[in-house]
Amino acid sequence: MAVLSQPRVLLHKLSPPVGRSTGVWVTSREAFWIALEALRAHKLRSFLTLLGVVIATTTLIVVMSVINGMNRYIQDHIANLGANVFILYQFNWTTSYEEFLKALRRNKAIRIEDFEFLRDNIKGYKNIGAEAGLDGGAEVKYKGHLMHEVNLAAETPNMIDIGQAKVESGRYINDTDYAHESMVCFIGQDLADEFFPSLDPIDKEINVRGIPFRVIGVAARIGTTFGQSQDKFVQIPLTTFKKVFMARPELAVNVQAWDAQQMMVLEDQVRALMRARRHIPYKEDDNFGLNASDTIMAMWHQLTASVFAVTVGIVAVFMVVGGIVIMNIMLASVTERTHEIGIRKSLGARRGDILMQFIIEASLMALTGGATGVLLSLMISKIVNIFFTSSVPLNAVLVGLVLSTAVGLFFGIYPASKAANLEPIEALRTEA
Amino acid sequence: MLDGPEASGKETRIAMGTQVATSSTQVSMAPPVGVMIRTEDLWKTYDMGEAIAVHALSGVTFELERGEYVAIMGPSGSGKSTLMNLIGCLDTPTSGKYWLNGRLVSELSDDELAYIRNKEIGFVFQTFNLLSRASALHNVELPLVYSGVPAKERLEKAQEALRKVDLIERMHHKPNELSGGQRQRVAIARALVNNPSIILADEPTGNLDSATGEEIMGVFERLYEGGNTIVLVTHEHDIAAHAHRIIHVRDGKIERDETVK
Repeated sequence: MAVLSQPRVLLHKLSPPVGRSTGVWVTSREAFWIALEALRAHKLRSFLTLLGVVIATTTLIVVMSVINGMNRYIQDHIANLGANVFILYQFNWTTSYEEFLKALRRNKAIRIEDFEFLRDNIKGYKNIGAEAGLDGGAEVKYKGHLMHEVNLAAETPNMIDIGQAKVESGRYINDTDYAHESMVCFIGQDLADEFFPSLDPIDKEINVRGIPFRVIGVAARIGTTFGQSQDKFVQIPLTTFKKVFMARPELAVNVQAWDAQQMMVLEDQVRALMRARRHIPYKEDDNFGLNASDTIMAMWHQLTASVFAVTVGIVAVFMVVGGIVIMNIMLASVTERTHEIGIRKSLGARRGDILMQFIIEASLMALTGGATGVLLSLMISKIVNIFFTSSVPLNAVLVGLVLSTAVGLFFGIYPASKAANLEPIEALRTEA
Repeated sequence: MLDGPEASGKETRIAMGTQVATSSTQVSMAPPVGVMIRTEDLWKTYDMGEAIAVHALSGVTFELERGEYVAIMGPSGSGKSTLMNLIGCLDTPTSGKYWLNGRLVSELSDDELAYIRNKEIGFVFQTFNLLSRASALHNVELPLVYSGVPAKERLEKAQEALRKVDLIERMHHKPNELSGGQRQRVAIARALVNNPSIILADEPTGNLDSATGEEIMGVFERLYEGGNTIVLVTHEHDIAAHAHRIIHVRDGKIERDETVK
């Protein structure tokens, strides 16, 4: 009989196979191909399997898009007090309903004396102006035309620099008007369109609440916010308002700083001065409100935070359900393909190869669900944007895709390990 | 090293075997001459519980040299399938040793066995065991995929193997578009593609009619002449007679070891 003479015979441990790093790339490409084939072969089953993930991803992205769109909208249309402007008013805008009721009892309105006091005692501001309004709007008439619920506002002359309005034609209220309590007014575009469609409005006389005012300027168009036109107003000098409509107007004092940092400093100054002026003890809260753009945004973010929290809950539930469905289908798939797994193992597929094959299949399936959700949400977002506002943020798309892949990966592990641990002989005996 | 009257014939075959080994690109750890398979007192026992043990194999010892064409024959229940699973590294023995191509494989881990199956064994099954949703070409290149061979090289080697079994024109057909004989030839090409040490055929003609069966046996004969080592497992004497040596198995033991050609 022959004798094994080579010393290599004693080597019964394997050295690591050459080129295994290319191997992983090659076998994972095979896994991708298998996964795609599996998806293609069972289109209806795949669709039903992925429904949970698709719904979850779509919900997530649509909600985030609507919130994103509204953020922009709010930023542009509501929270635009002007750069570095904060407003001293009777109330704080960010209070809850209970706090508002408390404030109604406690807080006192800001009066012209407060305004003048601040104007003379704070230092370094770029601008300080005041405005007052009439609740319920005013009736404005010109010749035969009548407009109801026109926003009647009383302004200091510098409000043109601080506020939202811009002069399109004519001029704004000036210091002379202010000093002389002149009966002049600055009208919004809606009034110009209604009363003077083909005339020049300047120097015409309109009746505000029965009292004649001369038009000195027209504002540039602002637009609508939540469907409400922002151009339906008439502005008159604050002194005139005091003389003719309300002897003790309730003001909103607008303070404009040179930059964001100074704004915070000025806010503190105004707070300190007002508290001193009103003799508010150290432990008590302010009986007035200080509001800035970021206050509005903060209030808005509070609201969206709760919406978002609910969304996260819904999305999580759908993802888990979707994941369990994927796991279930993968288990069935493994059982179906037991014979095939046996063949692959007999050809040299290791446990890791089979594991990777099924994990990639589950992940790819889930990723397809996520991608479908992204496409769906893009369509829905476009439609919603026609009626409301919606803008798809990129990070929502990424989160959606990553999350759905992770769900597939996680819920695919159990079926994949069942497949990987099949005994080749047993698997081969199973009927295909 | 070798003695007996068969020495010169075997030496020729072994020399041809050397040619086969060096013409392949595979790094061979085996000695150029010598023993391909050596088993020493192989036992395979299944525990059925309650102190009942079933011995599928009860101490099998034999040797097989490179380039031999051997049939393992026995009735059903004789342990030939168990022996085939052990030889093919689909399973490990309960006790005993098994050297394949100079490596002691009877104590390897699952992953190591998979590697051996990939590189050293070429299986041909009775039921063909092809992937039904893949083309003939992809079926043949599958062992190369699990070896980590890149695509271009895979394509070349797979086509080469298909050429050896005269099936190159059908390489893009799926198994359900091929006849039984053609499917078995695809399976043989797959078995060859990684240049294995042995080709292990389990009842390769069991699902084929006698004419096609003879065709397939002809393919095996060609492979044997080309220097491959072939182990055939069957219960039919007609098929076993194609081999040059028959090992008779009964009740988990080797009953008889006869050289027929």
